[in-house]
Amino acid sequence: MAEDLVLDTAIRDWVLIPLSVVMVLIGVLRYFVSKLMRSSQLPDAKALKEGQVIIRARNLKSGANFIPSKSFRARRVYFTNEENGLLYVPKDQAQNAQAQMFSDPNMAMDMMKKNLSMLIPQSLTFAWVNFFFSGFVAAKIPFPLTQRFRAMLQNGIDLSTVDVSYVSSRSWYFLNLFGLRGLFSLILGEENAMDDTQRMMQMGGFGFDAARSLAVEKDSLDIIQHDWALPKMEQRAEEVLRKLLR
Amino acid sequence: MDPRGKEKQSDDLQIFSAENLQSNMKSIYYSRTFLSIVGGVVAGIWGFTGLMGFVFYFLVMAIASMLFAAKAKFSVRTYFDSWNRIVVDGFLGGLMSFVLFWTFAYDIVHIF
Repeated sequence: MAEDLVLDTAIRDWVLIPLSVVMVLIGVLRYFVSKLMRSSQLPDAKALKEGQVIIRARNLKSGANFIPSKSFRARRVYFTNEENGLLYVPKDQAQNAQAQMFSDPNMAMDMMKKNLSMLIPQSLTFAWVNFFFSGFVAAKIPFPLTQRFRAMLQNGIDLSTVDVSYVSSRSWYFLNLFGLRGLFSLILGEENAMDDTQRMMQMGGFGFDAARSLAVEKDSLDIIQHDWALPKMEQRAEEVLRKLLR
Repeated sequence: MDPRGKEKQSDDLQIFSAENLQSNMKSIYYSRTFLSIVGGVVAGIWGFTGLMGFVFYFLVMAIASMLFAAKAKFSVRTYFDSWNRIVVDGFLGGLMSFVLFWTFAYDIVHIF
């Protein structure tokens, strides 16, 4: 078990390094392709309006303690009252918005593009790795692992006697897939920070659900305990000045 | 690594600009990622194996935390809303990158 395998240097030169380089390049390529494919459609006026309302409600929430109680209450009523408050969405309308989103072909198209730009390169790379590099022991992890990791790290080699820390080329591909995320966020900037898992989550939620986020904002506005900060300001000013004097 | 904005802080009331805080946290995240990659390469070239490498990672991260604190002139409250932002946040985030680059460098230098 413990004896070391001797790996050919050709494996390093023709499997390990090319695989990693290709993974990096494909990541960069994917970034630019998805940037090109991002359609710049005109934003829907209604969605834009709702987004602005949410931003205003958030501003009110974060600045709540800097205005007198009366003004705060007036603004809160403006946002959350049940008749014509900006954040209040009637029940039936909420359903409509959902249905509308599903029927809007542009939205679905955009989603498709996003998912395709994620899926196609990944499956292509995987197929490429499978085709060229299947069955190599490509690398060795410099720390010991238990037998449970065998399926994960030695995907593609059916040998039960090889030490678990040896990694097959296919598993090296997976290691790269997860580990290069940090590198991408460094070389491609923050736009790439939204990684695949987050995209997956978005897919589940099928886009931005305006009605729900409006309702969330409304609830959080409703439960704010208002406490006007300015009456205590003189005290604070005094403290600060005293500290300066000392 | 350069905290761009300053936030005022007081005892009972939090007054800070969320955007500046965000930007500070982002620069911390970038430096941690960068450090974990560089640390991985260094650990691989030096040929650390087993527990030693992880100890090295945590050492690098601890030193990074200390340097962040020094960069903020030890008045963390000026730039962040709590010490955790500097000391704890993102401590394990770079581990995956570290392991990858550690393995990569180690294999290239020592295995073949």
